[in-house]
Amino acid sequence: MRLVSGDDPVSGSFTDQMIAVLPRLRRFARGLAGSAVEADDLVQAACERALARQHQFQEGTRFDSWMFRIVQTIWIDQIRSREVRKEDGEIAEERLGSDESVRRVEARLALDEVRRAVGRLPPDQRTALLLVTVDGLSYKEAAEVAGVPVGTIMSRLSRARIALQLQLEAGGGMRRSTNDAEAG
Amino acid sequence: MMPKRGDDRLIAYLDGEVETTERREIEAWLDADPTARERLAALAESANLVRLAFDEVLREPVPERLIVAARGEKTSREPSGKIVLFKARQGAGQAAASRRWWTGLPVAASLFGLLAGGSVAYFSVIKFAPGDLVGKPPAVQQADADNLWLDNAAGYFKLLASAGDGGLIDVPATGDPREALQKISQSLPQQVRLPDLKPWGLNFRGARLVVAEGRPAAQLVYTTENKAIGPLTLIIGSSKEHDIPPTLARRQDVNLLYWRHQGRAFVLVGQTDIGYLWGIANDVAWQLDAV
Repeated sequence: MRLVSGDDPVSGSFTDQMIAVLPRLRRFARGLAGSAVEADDLVQAACERALARQHQFQEGTRFDSWMFRIVQTIWIDQIRSREVRKEDGEIAEERLGSDESVRRVEARLALDEVRRAVGRLPPDQRTALLLVTVDGLSYKEAAEVAGVPVGTIMSRLSRARIALQLQLEAGGGMRRSTNDAEAG
Repeated sequence: MMPKRGDDRLIAYLDGEVETTERREIEAWLDADPTARERLAALAESANLVRLAFDEVLREPVPERLIVAARGEKTSREPSGKIVLFKARQGAGQAAASRRWWTGLPVAASLFGLLAGGSVAYFSVIKFAPGDLVGKPPAVQQADADNLWLDNAAGYFKLLASAGDGGLIDVPATGDPREALQKISQSLPQQVRLPDLKPWGLNFRGARLVVAEGRPAAQLVYTTENKAIGPLTLIIGSSKEHDIPPTLARRQDVNLLYWRHQGRAFVLVGQTDIGYLWGIANDVAWQLDAV
């Protein structure tokens, strides 16, 4: 359970709901963007856009899903922008590891390997994995956030889980991470 | 290796996304095929690892710049250290600001003295708390009641802080902390569960019987050596009011984050910054199934 109720999306004020969903938005954004700073920039941009488009939120629909969709849209826009810059000869920033100090600290943690593996997934698969596996959305809810049919979410999720499995098995991350988790 | 279609089915099965008929087919398949069982276990394990890898973000304090952005206010790169009041509650907040929250201190002190004897004493004192609300419109009464509740919650916190280490704790958490919870719960309408805040460096010190929204409530006391966070108190009581999402308030140098969920009222109180409060409240709500 989290600090937002998806069952009652219109309770409280608009800003109250947005603040309540911030921890989950940060987690989602961290999974998408990789670094903490970029993720928080992403969430901040999403908040600003949501406020500007407050009138577009439909009462009776899930507020958290609407915010997830905004975060995802902004992130995709950023990726596309980076791709353009890369084509122009600029070096695209490596999403994972751009925050070097954080990366050095996290490198000591076995779970960092899992985050890296997630970061190597294609964007659409990463989104499906974060929405369903991490945030616990149903396939239908995730499909609404991503703006694709349920079958597409299933396909992306399946590919993501299989790819992740292969990466972790190849890196030995599953065994080490499990041991670390148990030790913690 | 299992055919891909097999993985698809196992993943949907793990996610609870298969119909009854297919679920039975998959379970029969798992019963008969040890390789499929191993594959299912591996997929479940990797899913769990992904959750573990990202759930720690939920424990982090939310940066104030994000809360400010969510309120639609001008953001600053520098932490301002100021509390952010919700726009929707500014009317009540301003009214509260014009009051001196510490006028609730004598009330809190009186309550403490009277409540130390148990719930019988509680019923003898609660009537005076909402007494000044008579004759006001319901919305005003509710705002005043909220203010009184929060005034008292801040007052309880300040009393505790001023009493020093271990002071004013009715039921200290000696040995098994669950015993303290059981003792305090005997005077409450419902059992209180103890959130584990050790990941935040917060140690449970004990509990007090207080009043929240005119009803007996438990004040859980946590301390820490981390001066950026503690001490903190968490008041858990019952409520007949409608659910409200987590909402910030402030009484001088005391920050409060309060919410109601399914007949329970919660208020997290401390002098830490709102980012920490949000993170800890999120943890509390998750542990207590309180949102």
